[in-house]
Amino acid sequence: MQILIIEAILLLFLIFITVCIILNKDILACTIIYSAFSFCAVLTYFMFGSPDVAFTEAVIGTMSTIFFVAALKKIDRWCK
Amino acid sequence: MKNNSMKKAFGGLILDTSFRILVPFTLVYGMYILTHGEYSPGGGFQAGALVAVGIVLVRMIQGGDKDMFNVSGPMAVVCAGVGTFIYAGTGWLTIFGGGLFLDYGALPVPMHHLAELHALGILMIEIGVTVCVMMTIINIMDAIIERLDDDLEEEVECDGNNH
Repeated sequence: MQILIIEAILLLFLIFITVCIILNKDILACTIIYSAFSFCAVLTYFMFGSPDVAFTEAVIGTMSTIFFVAALKKIDRWCK
Repeated sequence: MKNNSMKKAFGGLILDTSFRILVPFTLVYGMYILTHGEYSPGGGFQAGALVAVGIVLVRMIQGGDKDMFNVSGPMAVVCAGVGTFIYAGTGWLTIFGGGLFLDYGALPVPMHHLAELHALGILMIEIGVTVCVMMTIINIMDAIIERLDDDLEEEVECDGNNH
């Protein structure tokens, strides 16, 4: 029962973070919030019993955050 | 404008000290995941991504040309090809040993237990995958940084012409 509650909280976090990313106008903030999404996804995969996928997501989440921030130097920070 | 170039070092005291502690552990952990991936979560892809994280961290903190692991440009492409060749070469080795492609039981190595041969074959293809993934991620990072720097230099030249 407690595991169900934790899973539900994690999934609600995922939905909440996704809505935050969609509604945000600041792309740098979106990138940082996306890393939070990646962290919650790692915990969710771990709770559902696939540590392999969780580990991959942790590493690739870090990598993609670095890539997004590096690519952000090219474009405007605020979307219109 | 020149200071925006990503090839220059931006580390201060804290970043320099922390990456000196962080990066060796990242590399060693990547090797551990590569070699221990049979019995625990992990494998070639994750190990390659971890080692690439370490090298990209060094490159971003220490700057472009003076860093410790200066693998960039054509060298990275060649190394990615070498990784793929290691994978395919393992398959061809088993063909030369008389089996099918990637049929680890037929590896021409003097070991008699089938499980040992399987472990050796899987370790070899995982080394290939690790090298390929690591070099590909470094390559993507190089492409992004070089394109950014080219654009920045163009902007600087335009500014110089205007004034």
